[in-house]
Amino acid sequence: MRVVCDRAALLEAVNLVSGVVASRTPRPQLTCVRLDATSEDGVGTLVLSGTDAETSMRLAVDRVDVERAGEALVPADKLRQIIQAEDHESTLTLEADGDSCQVLGTDARFRVLGYPASDFPAIGDFKSAVKGSAESAPARAVFTHNAGDLSELIARTIFATARENSRYAINGVLLHKDGKKVEMVATDGKRLALARSALAAPGAGDGPVKCIVPTKALQHLQKLLGDDEEPVRLAVGENRITFAIGASEDGEDPRALLSSTLVEGAFPPYQDVIPKDQDKSITFDRDLLFSAVKRAALLTNEESRGVRLEFDSAGKKLRLSSRAPEMGEANVEIELKEYKGDGVEIGFNPGFITEALKVINQPEIVMELKDSMKPGLIRSGPDFTYVVMPVNLQ
Amino acid sequence: MHTPIPSLASIHWAVPPSTLQRPAIRVLPPLVADQIAAGEVVERPASVVKELLENALDAGATRIEVELAQGGIELIRITDDGAGIPPDELPLALAAHATSKLRDAEELARIGTLGFRGEALASITSVARVRIRSVAPGHEPSEIEGAGDQRSAVRPAAVARGTSIEVRTLFFNTPARRRFLRTPATEQTRCMEVVRDLALAHPAVALRALCDGRETLDLRAEQGPRARALAILGRELEDNLVEVHADEQHDARGVSLWGLVGTPAVARSNARAQRVFVNGRAVRDPSIQHALREAYRGLIEPGRYPTAVLMIDLPPDGVDVNVHPAKAEVRFRDQGMVHSLVLNTVREALRRADLTPTLAHRTGARPAIFGPGDGPTDTASDAQSFADYFRRDLPASTGGRFDYQAVRDALDRVLTMGSKVEPAGDASDERERPDPASPEAAPATPASQLEALPRRDHLQVHQSYVVAQDDDGVVIVDQHALHERAMFEALHARITAGPLESQSLLTPAVVDTSSERVTRLEELTPLLERLGIDAAALSPSTVGVRAFPTLLFSRGVDPIDFMSELLDRADADAFVPDSEEALREVLDMMACKAAVKAGDRLTDAEIGALLELRGSVERSTSCPHGRPTSVRLTLADLERLFERR
Ligand SMILES: Nc1ncnc2c1ncn2[C@@H]1O[C@H](COP(=O)(O)OP(=O)(O)OP(=O)(O)O)[C@@H](O)[C@H]1O
Ligand SMILES: [Mg+2]
Repeated sequence: MRVVCDRAALLEAVNLVSGVVASRTPRPQLTCVRLDATSEDGVGTLVLSGTDAETSMRLAVDRVDVERAGEALVPADKLRQIIQAEDHESTLTLEADGDSCQVLGTDARFRVLGYPASDFPAIGDFKSAVKGSAESAPARAVFTHNAGDLSELIARTIFATARENSRYAINGVLLHKDGKKVEMVATDGKRLALARSALAAPGAGDGPVKCIVPTKALQHLQKLLGDDEEPVRLAVGENRITFAIGASEDGEDPRALLSSTLVEGAFPPYQDVIPKDQDKSITFDRDLLFSAVKRAALLTNEESRGVRLEFDSAGKKLRLSSRAPEMGEANVEIELKEYKGDGVEIGFNPGFITEALKVINQPEIVMELKDSMKPGLIRSGPDFTYVVMPVNLQ
Repeated sequence: MHTPIPSLASIHWAVPPSTLQRPAIRVLPPLVADQIAAGEVVERPASVVKELLENALDAGATRIEVELAQGGIELIRITDDGAGIPPDELPLALAAHATSKLRDAEELARIGTLGFRGEALASITSVARVRIRSVAPGHEPSEIEGAGDQRSAVRPAAVARGTSIEVRTLFFNTPARRRFLRTPATEQTRCMEVVRDLALAHPAVALRALCDGRETLDLRAEQGPRARALAILGRELEDNLVEVHADEQHDARGVSLWGLVGTPAVARSNARAQRVFVNGRAVRDPSIQHALREAYRGLIEPGRYPTAVLMIDLPPDGVDVNVHPAKAEVRFRDQGMVHSLVLNTVREALRRADLTPTLAHRTGARPAIFGPGDGPTDTASDAQSFADYFRRDLPASTGGRFDYQAVRDALDRVLTMGSKVEPAGDASDERERPDPASPEAAPATPASQLEALPRRDHLQVHQSYVVAQDDDGVVIVDQHALHERAMFEALHARITAGPLESQSLLTPAVVDTSSERVTRLEELTPLLERLGIDAAALSPSTVGVRAFPTLLFSRGVDPIDFMSELLDRADADAFVPDSEEALREVLDMMACKAAVKAGDRLTDAEIGALLELRGSVERSTSCPHGRPTSVRLTLADLERLFERR
């Protein structure tokens, strides 16, 4: 194998793929990136693959000149460090034979010892994810979405997933597809974010599908998504999901392929926790609320985390306050655009409010409340619903 | 009730005998004598349940029903299908020192029944209202009633088979003792513990229990002790239980041992999950508890107790059951033999069992591309760290790896040179020490690299200790111990001002526990409220946590783990929910979970903050574990160590 590569493109690709390769494993082959150089009708492609057994990624780099096709298996870490350090070069040449791979610059030559490429586990392509293979059943659903909407769905939910592994929270986002509707839902047990969008076509597969995609896989996916209009093909299988980014209609030749095992287990019945009998409704200017909450949160600490929201229905005012006994207190007052219902007082973790406001792009949001013990609801249009449980302030 | 007997010394010195008006010696009226005797037998509803169940079992029952009202304080009714009592013997059943189970002193040496004193029913009747209805084959069904020293005539009654004994308003005539009873929920828990114990020991008997009309237990007759034990302990525990077995063949003296013992993973913070039975009788035996603890030495941390159900059967003449008023203790003829039988059998079973924890892989099945058994899991390194965890208790590790215990011991040694120190007793947080397989846990730094360390006025070593200097010399801080202590003080101060702030949950976090613990939840509620925990029973054996302190959430403490440990601790006898001790115990647990752990890498800023805490903490007198949070090597100590002086 001998390939001349655009250094910047190569570095970006190696960085992305290094993200999935295993870091601690008894099998050193899994800490490697596999390189496959092919040339068809004079058009050369270099494909980089990495896996940690749960998540696999394949990424094609086309700013390459394949002089000799072939493959190599190289420790990801070293490859990345070398390409990064050769920052005075605009191109680098990769040359491999046997188990070693050379990286050639104008004034430097690196020979990195790797493994036979055949030692690397095969990563199935999109077609085998759709049709099924010896190891897996055919996909339950196959459909296409555009990168822009998909990225927004992820951004509007992923922030509400649990930060740490725990027994009561799920480390993933629910993907629910029914006909032309897709929903993503995430919760950490204290709040829940639900985002919706519509597909151009329902795709193949019978009936609605639900699956839980690991948070980690969605973080990788987000980095792979580029141009808003680029199509992303999804195949949801029994225990795996596969994304083909920038693929043709049949999922062939994607620019990037990501596949991940699904999280096992049941997602909480999220429809039940979305309150339906809120009797107070407040319309906010998003930026104003954001800044008010942020300022009121300045005097909170670990033991006194909550911010108190006092809604004055007559004066159409909101008073936000916080108090940390050994630190001091903050008071912020803002005008409300609209207030329906009686006044109410409720406490929230300020971070839970600001994180949701960050992913809303409309200038106006609606907050619905019932009482200080009941969940609060934030909506932005029909496509974003956010439930947040109160903090019991003392 | 036991009247505390003052020591001879105090009698002798308290009042000069000559000044006493001495009352004459009199024989006590029979009722008073019985009531005093009853004090030994009947302490609380659970003791009544125990006696009545033993009688039913002695009568050869195959099906027993237990009914309780108000935790047994108002009513205990036990119905069996055993041999029954003929009408003419009913008055004797209520009489003291009357039994069908023993004829002479010689038989006392080889008792094969659970009862033998002929005292239980008499004692119970002296302090409660009792009615016996019974039918013996070939006799008329009849009943008798008794209360205090009153006895009814024997009357005909409607009974299909066996015996039904009802005990109402326990201690109706001894109000002082009635007042000493705990809440119905607690008494019910105690009663059900007795029922479960006897059920464990008698698997062939079907047992049903109703508490205030609700069924709390329904056990069918089982083939053997294993099936019964799993029915009671919960099938989900099966993977964490190791069967132990030694039968008569192993031992010429005809002693057999059978049991289920828990893996280290299910060890508890108190000894209540250890059940020991001798010839079908639940007993407390410190020597068997000791044997168990020895068998687990090095497998579980000090301060935790293995779970175990052990059944020892031996010929009746090998054990004296007549040593404790409530028959709760026995004396083995050959104590040493029983001790070593338990120790060796359990130790051997643990050695043979595969104690490697199974790694629950959260996401999906392993893809087939890796083939069976050689996937890129972390099994190897996890097994390594697990093995290290066990190895910790072995003396002197010679490898380059960080040995927490050795460091502790070394510090203790250093310390004892200067001042008096309490031994580092509690080691319960050692499991939080760094995982040696993680990349951050580098092997001990060779001395030659020391100069390469950045110049700072403090240094974190092995991500567990912070070394700093002060005017007197070197201070070494145990980061977890210090932070825990500071957290404890802060929480304690905070909670006296009002309940902790709590975050509500969308859906309750579900804690699986036992029905006894669920019934005790009510007593715990005021304490939980102060802590910012809102918990309620979801079912007879689950508790739902609806709100949990924001502080613990932000420190990554899992509400399920926390709550089950809290319920576990609250189960201990010494735990009085509304006491200051209980509050301190729980705050201590919170502090321990919320504090930085040994093995957490700290930033400079965090270390600085931690060192600042030192001043405030050291001044305070209260301390959760009573062990030092930091130690000091003064310049004088150093001079001595380096033999400069
Ligand atoms: N459920 C029962 N079925 C048949 N007989 C019973 C039952 N309960 C009690 N008896 C009879 O009543 C007698 C007295 O019972 P009691 O419990 O007072 O004494 P015990 O069982 O002989 O000895 P201990 O005081 O050690 O329990 C028993 O010896 C037995 O003959
Ligand atoms: Mg008896």
